[in-house]
Order: sequence, then structure tokens, then C-alpha cells
Amino acid sequence: MSSFSTDGKSEKSLVKMVSIEKWFGKVHALEGIDFEVRCSEVVGLVGDNGAGKSTLIKVLSGYHLADKGEIYFEGKKVNIASSLHARKLGIETVYQEQALAPNLSISRNIFMGREPVRSLGFMDKKSMDRESMKALQSIGLHLRSPDALITMLSGGERQGVAIARALHFKAKLVILDEPTIALSVREARQVLEFIKQLKREGISVIFITHNLYHVFPSADRFVVLTRGEKIADIQKKDTSIDDLFELIVKPPSHN
Amino acid sequence: MVTNKKDKEKMPSGVAVAGRAKKLLNLFSYQAVGTLLVFLALILVFIFFTPHHLFVDPRNIKALAKLTPDLGIVALGVGMLMISGEFDLSVSTVLPFSSYIFVLLLRAGINPVFSLFMAMGVGALLGLLNGLITVKGHIPSFIATLGTMMFWRGVLYVHSRMWPIGIRAYFPAGSSFEHVLIGEIGGVVPAQVIWFVVFALILGVVLHFHKFGNWVYATGDNKEAARAMGINTDRVKTICFMIVGTLSGFVGVMQLLRLGSFAATQGLGFELKAIAASVVGGTSLMGGIGSIAGIFWGALTIQILENGLILMRVPVFGISAFIGLAVILFVVLNTYMRRRMMMMR
Ligand SMILES: Nc1ncnc2c1ncn2[C@@H]1O[C@H](COP(=O)(O)OP(=O)(O)OP(=O)(O)O)[C@@H](O)[C@H]1O
Ligand SMILES: [Mg+2]
Repeated sequence: MSSFSTDGKSEKSLVKMVSIEKWFGKVHALEGIDFEVRCSEVVGLVGDNGAGKSTLIKVLSGYHLADKGEIYFEGKKVNIASSLHARKLGIETVYQEQALAPNLSISRNIFMGREPVRSLGFMDKKSMDRESMKALQSIGLHLRSPDALITMLSGGERQGVAIARALHFKAKLVILDEPTIALSVREARQVLEFIKQLKREGISVIFITHNLYHVFPSADRFVVLTRGEKIADIQKKDTSIDDLFELIVKPPSHN
Repeated sequence: MVTNKKDKEKMPSGVAVAGRAKKLLNLFSYQAVGTLLVFLALILVFIFFTPHHLFVDPRNIKALAKLTPDLGIVALGVGMLMISGEFDLSVSTVLPFSSYIFVLLLRAGINPVFSLFMAMGVGALLGLLNGLITVKGHIPSFIATLGTMMFWRGVLYVHSRMWPIGIRAYFPAGSSFEHVLIGEIGGVVPAQVIWFVVFALILGVVLHFHKFGNWVYATGDNKEAARAMGINTDRVKTICFMIVGTLSGFVGVMQLLRLGSFAATQGLGFELKAIAASVVGGTSLMGGIGSIAGIFWGALTIQILENGLILMRVPVFGISAFIGLAVILFVVLNTYMRRRMMMMR
């Protein structure tokens, strides 16, 4: 089911979610969402608090199971049942709630859950250290030691570590849930640089944020959610920051 | 120390050696320097202030060496479990329970080696149960294991009627089994010490070098992140509970042999002392922080504190006050040092 987009860019579809529904008890968090990301495309996923952005990407990353709907990855129908499964497909997520263990070292974090081993499951610390530094450098982050604990890093550097992890594991799609939240201006700019670097490496990105000034220069396309519904799906050239802002604050059409 | 060629090319060998030495030091002292220092200070204090310097009397040292591993081995397991973010209060029941199973099997004429494995197996099963109740029931392990502690203690007290059971009738003195568990190497070093060191080394290697160790830290430090990275945190915790149970079972039998008789009150108070040892050793009550070296020194510190105070004729309840004070001081100190470290960034 590899579809080509019709807007002239004609890039291959990487992931396509069709009519996704999700309930939390009585809360209808996702009301039949269609969502697509193409190869090396940066999609800005925006919407007000509680719109369902995090829920949507958690379905994609295997954290939540959808109650209804289908997911196609590289044209094949997939049933993403766990985060491990998602990671095997090449979907890496940097969650809004820090996806790092603060008291563990950088290299232990980068390889968390997928440690390279020598024999009998003993970690290959040398290769962990070397590969960590390499991954960090590839996104332009130069840290002193792979043994530094995450707590000692700045917020921007932490996001860098999480993104470097995605890069190292040959992610095809990196999902960033509010990666610039609570960061200083300089740190946020650093994270935006990381995102550009990912795009240059041919990796698709879903970028969730409330800050349109952060997402607008980085993204190719925008998807706007409001209370569990998709109300817009626009190329950058067809919109502006002001338009997007209007869409986000506009009450849902059926109200 | 040998430096390989690659490193030499990159940096002056002196720096490389210093780097390696520092790494090695880090390994053995990771979060344990403070504990080690206090441990040494305590020894000095007790050497000078116990009457007739009784503390360093060879008989006292030997008694300590036989006694300390009981708490120490249990604490290793409890501390590792705490790093994964959970508690186990039931050790003080699992220990005599396993000891009881061992005695019953022995009385039924079953081979002691097999009985030992059965006792450890029962410990592991009780640990498995603790784990399952905690992770499947989504309840705090502090409560879950408080429940199992009281439940199994009740079962044990009723079934054993709290009667002591001497083992000599079923078990010849001086058997090789006994030698391996509680003998003395060269007539000097009690086997218990060797077991303590062996368990510490095994758990240390697993915790610090094996990928499972990384999962334990990750689970305790940030469970959500660990889950998101594909680590089965429920399984990691359950395995840690089983390790605690197995170690408690082993200690139950080891202590039984030393005492020569089963007592339903074996291990009473170990649940809190093991936590105290872990905390004194730098283990965080929130999980994710700690080291086997720290827990090792922590257990020694708690035991020596108790022993020294007894020798100084501090009344029993007074000792409890001192241990309580020590725990609080250590937590305050550790928290302060960690804060300092954070501010240094
Ligand atoms: N685990 C959960 N259990 C119950 N309800 C949930 C859960 N996760 C999300 N919800 C609900 O689902 C709806 C969508 O939440 P979601 O976190 O996806 O919003 P969001 O768009 O990411 O918001 P924000 O911008 O504030 O992060 C909200 O009403 C929220 O309360
Ligand atoms: Mg969110």
C-alpha cells in the first residue's frame, strides 16, 4: 500500500494511521484520526492541551493500543503491540516525560534495553562508550564523557542524548513530544538544530509542541488536532503561523 | 596496569593510567566512599573506646565475622531490589520459613544438599509471590511484603508451634556440608565471610556489568523510560524479589547450622536492618541509585555499630536509637552530597 502524495512532492509514505480511535474510560481521546508521515518529512503535530497529540503518538510507538483503526508502516499493515515492536520497526520516541534515567550515565541511557553484549549478556562497555560519543557527535553534540550522569546535563543536552539514541538505532521515524518545553532559548535552538540534522539524515520526524515559532521553521507540514479530531492537515507553503494559531484556538466545528 | 596501544596513541600514557585507575576506583567506591570512611571511623572509635579494647579481641572479631554475613547477604538482595525501586519486608519471615523447610526435610531423611536447594527454592517462590502481588496488583511493595511477612510468619508460628528443633539428631557434626557452609578456612576465616564476599561479587558483577543490572537501574530510576525502551520492568522487579527470597533462604540454612537449632524467630528485625544497611550504603529509597560495594560496607557498618555499642554496654534499646540516628544522618549526608553534585554541573 505504498501511496504517493499528490501535492507534487511525491515522497513515499512511511507510516499511515487510518481511523484511529482511543478511549480512556469515558474519555474519547481520539475520534477516528487519519495521520500520515512521508519519508524524510518533518510533520508538526499541534493542538491545545488535551487535544490527543500525545495519545496519538503513543499509539504509534506501541505504548497504548488503539481501540480501533489500522496502521501501515512502509506500506505493510502492522499491529504495534509494544514499544519494543515499534523500535524494531524503526519508530523511536522521545517522550514529553523525559525518556531518560537521570541517575544513569549517558552511554547506559543510550543503550538502555538494547545493550550490546560480549557473552552471557555482559555489556560491551567499550563499544557502548564509543558508539554513544559517535551518535552524539553526529547530531553536533560534543559532550565530555559518556560516563557523565544525565542529571548533570542541561535540558537541551538531554534531548540531544535521547535524539542521538534514536539516531544510533537507525530510526526511520523519530517522534518528539514537546522536546523544547522548559528549555532556555539557546537550548531550544540547539534542539531545533538536532531536528534539522535528522531531516538531513533522511529520517522522518513528528514534532509535537505548543510553540509555533519552534515548529514552523522546522516542519514541512502541519496537522492540527482539537479534542481528539483532526481539523487541519496543511503544507507549510499553504499556511502561516497566524493561520495555525487561529486553527488551534478555534472551537471544534460541530459545537 | 597495562594500557593498550590505541589509548597510548591518543593520549599520554600517564593520563591513560590515571583515567583507568580512576575508573577502577569509581567501580569499587561508586557512591560508597562516604560509607567506607564512616566504617573506618567507627572501627577506630570502637577500638579505643570499648572496655579493654574488646572490640579488637580476636574472639569478638571472629564472632562478628560469623554473624555479619547473615544480615549482609540478605542486605545485598534487599539493596538490589531497592535499586529496582521496591522494598521487601518479608525477608524476616522468608528466612526462618526456609530454615524450617530445611529442618523438616532433614528430619524426613532427605539429603542436606538437596534440602538446602529446596529451602532456597522455597525462598525464591515466596519472592516470586511478593513480586507478582506487587506488579500485578499494582500495590506498593512496602504494603505487599508487610502483608506476606505477617501472613507467612503466622503460618510458620502455628505450624511449628514455635518449638525449637535441634538439628544434631538428624545431622552429624563436622559433615562436609557443614564445613562448606559454616566451617573455617585454615581455622581462621569463617566460611560465612567467604559466602558473603562471593555473593557480593556475583551480584556486583551482575548489577554493574550485566545488561540485567542496567535494566535494574533503569527500572528504579525511571520506570516509564525503561518501559518505553522495551524493558519489561515488571519482570525485572519480580526477578529481584526472587533473588532476595533465594538469598534469604540460603541465610536461613546457614544461620540454622550456626545456631544448631531452628528458631521461629530467626531473622527477626532483619527487614528493617537490611534496609538500613542499604541506605547507609548509599542506596536511594526512591530507586535507581546504589551499588553493591555500598551495600556491602553498609551492612558491615550497621553490624559493627551494633556490636561496638553492645561492647560499650549501651542498653539494647539504646542501640536501636543509635542505629536510627545513623540511618537518618546518612540519608541527610547522601542527599546533601547528591545536591552538591547536581549544582556542580
Ligand atoms: N493514561 C490516560 N488515562 C486517562 N486519560 C488519559 C490518559 N492519557 C490521556 N488521557 C486523556 O486523553 C485526552 C488527550 O490527552 P493527551 O495527553 O493525548 O493530550 P495532548 O494533546 O498531548 O495534551 P498536552 O498538550 O497537554 O500534552 C485528555 O483528555 C487526557 O486527559
Ligand atoms: Mg502531550
